Amino acid sequence: MTLPNYMKINLSTGEIAPYPIPEEYYRKFLGGKALAARLLLDLTPAGLDPLDPEMVVIVNTGPLNGTGAPSTSRFNLTSKNIATGGIASSNCGGTFGGMLRRAGYEGLIITGKAENPVRIDVSDGDISILDAGELWGTDTEHAQEKLPKHAGKLVIGPGGENMVRFAGLASGERMAGRCGIGAVFGSKNLKAITAYGTREIPIAKREKFYKFVKRWVKFLKGHTMTGDALPHFGSAGLVNKANATHALPTKNFQEGYYAKADKVSGETLAETLLTRNSGCISCPIRCERRVMMDGREVKGPEFETMGFFGPNMGAHDLETIIRLNWLCDILGLDTISAASTISFAMELEQRGIKDFGVKFGDVSNLEDVLRKIANREGIYTELANGSKWLSEKYGGKEFAMHAKGLEMASYEPRRSVGMGLGYATSNRGGCHLNGGYMALLECIGVLSIRPTDHRAKAEWTVFMQNALEAMSTAGCCLFSGQTFIPQILFNLGPNHWITRLLGKAAVHTGLVVRLLLAIRPIMLFNTLFLMPHAEALRLATGLPIFTGEFLNIGERSYNVERIYNLREGLTEKDDALPKRLTDNPQDPSDKNTVVPMDKLLPKYYQTRGWNAKSQPKERTLKRLGMIDLWQKW
Amino acid sequence: MSHSITSDCMGCSACSRLCPVFAIEGERGKVHAVNQKRCVDCGVCGKACSKQAVVDASGKRVNKVPRANWAKPVINQGACSACQMCVEACTLGLIQVTLPQYRGSLEVYAQMNEPKKCVGCGLCARACPLGIIKMVGGEEK
Repeated sequence: MTLPNYMKINLSTGEIAPYPIPEEYYRKFLGGKALAARLLLDLTPAGLDPLDPEMVVIVNTGPLNGTGAPSTSRFNLTSKNIATGGIASSNCGGTFGGMLRRAGYEGLIITGKAENPVRIDVSDGDISILDAGELWGTDTEHAQEKLPKHAGKLVIGPGGENMVRFAGLASGERMAGRCGIGAVFGSKNLKAITAYGTREIPIAKREKFYKFVKRWVKFLKGHTMTGDALPHFGSAGLVNKANATHALPTKNFQEGYYAKADKVSGETLAETLLTRNSGCISCPIRCERRVMMDGREVKGPEFETMGFFGPNMGAHDLETIIRLNWLCDILGLDTISAASTISFAMELEQRGIKDFGVKFGDVSNLEDVLRKIANREGIYTELANGSKWLSEKYGGKEFAMHAKGLEMASYEPRRSVGMGLGYATSNRGGCHLNGGYMALLECIGVLSIRPTDHRAKAEWTVFMQNALEAMSTAGCCLFSGQTFIPQILFNLGPNHWITRLLGKAAVHTGLVVRLLLAIRPIMLFNTLFLMPHAEALRLATGLPIFTGEFLNIGERSYNVERIYNLREGLTEKDDALPKRLTDNPQDPSDKNTVVPMDKLLPKYYQTRGWNAKSQPKERTLKRLGMIDLWQKW
Repeated sequence: MSHSITSDCMGCSACSRLCPVFAIEGERGKVHAVNQKRCVDCGVCGKACSKQAVVDASGKRVNKVPRANWAKPVINQGACSACQMCVEACTLGLIQVTLPQYRGSLEVYAQMNEPKKCVGCGLCARACPLGIIKMVGGEEK
């Protein structure tokens, strides 16, 4: 077993020293966001401000990063969340993760604050802190052009430099958008990290591992979601699906259906501006859109970006969406939070509360608005603080569409109540992926588990959250997990009586899921179709990771992040949604079109093994082997 | 141990220009040195050295090989998943994923665009997770 190499870098003192990872941590948390959250608990005192020089930001990888296994370029950033006050984790598919491992390290722990703008360079195990004066002030595209050509890069843009609360980081054209970690970089005067090296990435059972990778790639290519739908339409293909089930947020979540949604759908994009599909390094799914903008080819928008800069603003201008998506990337802003905050400002204008010069249906001036947000110019410095801050200042908490302070993604929870529960309980705030992505099983996938029915949703949410969390920990893209929906359902189609029956019957499967969660210790098998990641991890690390233990890692990750949140003062009251979603039916004639949090939440805590205050119970932590964290909040 | 350069080096920089991982340093006209941490033992420096000044990991001098005889990657394109691992590995930027033949086509694969510039380092073959890149040729003659 090879333990991961971590280095601690203090930007205040210039001190660079190895940070040994205890074997116990490695066995229980593996890497990625799980290990990073555990380390963050050790490394920071409670109540530390995210922008304090002493705050720690961890950039780390999972055991599969850089191995070439399918969709394994996702590296992780963890720190304290500037928007929520809880944990921040952000995930990116750029080349930096694999390169950092080749340069000799599985993770970097960065603390302190440099006096002048600096960048960190990692070359073949040697780490140096270099001046970045000439990079400061540049956008993510130009900054990367100035950095060594072949290095893996991770940079912030003007958004991060000016500590916009939803500033992200770019690696190539990929973004680690969520949670405002770009602002933490900015507060440390850290512009960029580069890594280059040629170290061979350790794989315990190399031959078997690559044999398995071959089978896995073939399986992904043969599955309808990963081999056909995602490569053809990208995540943008979800616009029409979400709209059809009234799960497409429209005008800041006032409605869930937009009549002209097809104009901004993945299908329309594929017929008009799309040039080809592409993908992150190592990914055979290739869901990335390459599109034309002003005569050049750029990265196309994802579903969330299209939904938010489109229907959620009452607009449907595809070319503008592409431009705004690109602009957010080069300014280093999270498209979800940026667009959601602007949508909130639009509703403030609609209600006559406050006019920021933005209104529903008009996206023509948003380029200017985004630049001003990134540079914190004039009144727009308020928009740079996110929708929670705005709603506290101007009112409108019931329609500020965030959970814990982080803006939700563009899935309407009133037509996907499990997703609503996920948003509310997600440790990093209103995130669809951290929240369990129940929308996939409720309103946008082949299977539709009665979207407005609360039964069994808590159990499925827990299961999905654990599974997705474990995939992130490994360094995998969550799209590689879509194959767990059996191919046969795609062959039958969503309207076949068997698929519909399964959707209806699934609301009675709460007990089955709980049983599944309970028998984890005897799930000593790995299958290609359920969780191929577990087998890949077993072969790569040499640890006895089977499906049960894989789900355990996900659950440990969820619990350790929750413990961090509790320690930082978040409570069960923060596991909540805006009143618009819980009290106002989306369809006034159907009172079921709300998120019944009062029914969902107690069931969720019970399934998680948490008490009513959302604190993990002693026996839960004992079961997970984390009793050392009992009452550490 | 990796490749290293002996004092026979005349400092022509032929090796440092070709090294795919930028591991060879040295001023022109002076003896060059291999950065041991970075060297990947691809042997390109040895094949290029007219003075036979490069020794391999086992301490054996490497013979110069005419460039026409250097190994070249052959990609089994039918089995390629276009994952771009080789594209990233090739620091010379010679491998690219093909453009689709028609709008919406998913039939794309990695392709060696400029085989003449290839130095035969084999990094692409090492990076390919599917093992479908084979280095062909390169026998010493």
